[in-house]
Amino acid sequence: MDTDHFKDLYNHRNLIWAIAWGDFKWRYKNSVLGYFWSLLEPLVMFVILYVVFSNLMKVQVEYYQLFLLLGIIMWNFFVKATNLGLTAIVGKPSLIQKIYFPREILVISACLTAMLQSLFESLIFIVFMVALQIPLSWNLLYLPLILAMFFILTLGTALAISALNVYYRDIQFIWAVVLQAGFFITPILYPLCIFPTAMQEIFRLNPIGQIIVISRDCILYSNAPFPLSLAYAGVASGLILVIGYIIFLKLEPRFAEEM
Amino acid sequence: MDVIKVERLSKEFRIPHEKRDTLFAALTGLMRPSSYETFAALKDVSFSVEEGEMFGVIGQNGSGKSTLLKILSRIILPTSGSVEVKKPVTPFLELGVGFQYDFSALENIRMYGTIMGLSPREIDNRIEEILKFAGLERFRDVKLKNFSSGMQVRLAFSTAVQTNPQILLLDEVLAVGDLDFQKKCYDVIEHFKREGVTIVFVSHDLESVKKHCSRTLLLDHGNPVMIGKTSDVVDRYLKGV
Repeated sequence: MDTDHFKDLYNHRNLIWAIAWGDFKWRYKNSVLGYFWSLLEPLVMFVILYVVFSNLMKVQVEYYQLFLLLGIIMWNFFVKATNLGLTAIVGKPSLIQKIYFPREILVISACLTAMLQSLFESLIFIVFMVALQIPLSWNLLYLPLILAMFFILTLGTALAISALNVYYRDIQFIWAVVLQAGFFITPILYPLCIFPTAMQEIFRLNPIGQIIVISRDCILYSNAPFPLSLAYAGVASGLILVIGYIIFLKLEPRFAEEM
Repeated sequence: MDVIKVERLSKEFRIPHEKRDTLFAALTGLMRPSSYETFAALKDVSFSVEEGEMFGVIGQNGSGKSTLLKILSRIILPTSGSVEVKKPVTPFLELGVGFQYDFSALENIRMYGTIMGLSPREIDNRIEEILKFAGLERFRDVKLKNFSSGMQVRLAFSTAVQTNPQILLLDEVLAVGDLDFQKKCYDVIEHFKREGVTIVFVSHDLESVKKHCSRTLLLDHGNPVMIGKTSDVVDRYLKGV
């Protein structure tokens, strides 16, 4: 990694936002209602899962609606960002083959587009929070830090799979399976305490799960995060970004030839 | 001063007999070494371009001209040899890269301008000029998909030339558009030349190469046949390589 590359990236910073915003607008271009249609999918998911799991769950979870909704919105961000990341490079052959700019810009933009969508989905969550009069606390101040970790983790994952997908086009099918499994092994539907202690420890290794648990603690239950959980999530996210970026930079030079 | 210095540049493309573009194929193919043929697109090419010079590259189709420009713009890497480019490069390999047909002319100018390296403020300042140069003032809010191909090219070129290039790589882009527009384009190129912009010009239009380029490189199947004064090189090309 040389400093020139990062200088290049910095010089193209306007492009990151331009592509992300352009993509976001393009997705909803065809209808004014487009923005609201995009809320339909998470809402339907939420209602169905809520009806099923609030009856199925043996343990009582306080504010289960919001517990579930927050989990869904956060997991959805990871799903959207990585899926947009998968096609970020292979879906834009003309940009790759006819002009040069640091290629990671396309992946960063994909993650930002997903973030815009998720911020929009969070509006439902905020409405629910106000309606249920959830008490707020200073622990909310941890939220920007936690979300930054989540973004870093997601970006690292998206960088790796976007680059791998150029060389191995079946990554997208494998990734769909990974996401499906991830949905169930991440504490989205259930709290970790439904498992025996030993199993809980294994589940805690999942950094996305940790991030979702910490977020719920801060937002819904006015608890400060455990320092150890926070540190683990931070270190894991950082590592994923570094590894993802290294994979990306290794594969990037031959993108134009492989497409 | 040389701003572009290319030494013993070679580029080979691999053409695999069986394309392994899935993880599955890569894993099942681990035991068998993959076989491929190589295609040499450029063979041992050396040249340098001085600051402010307009340098021509000619040759038949498939002689490696576009590959050369792609290497100079860092889109692909050389197989061997060294390429030194001392100033920022603006490649015009294809006009309208990243155009989105569902967006208006204005939105596309912003997007394309950003891709070509303009800041939002620079774009705002130049947007009227861009539309005027393209002759599309009345169509600013029309979606690009409703433009004729000529209009699209004019819009792209007008935006692209606003980028204050220091080294310009031109690939055949002027072959499009009507005579009026072509004349405008050459005027812009003359203007760039006066400003001291270094230009590498790839073309089949030998007359304009003769008119604009001081020195020219002739390529044939990747081999550098001749580098020198444009008129001599063009004569050699016309005699057959």
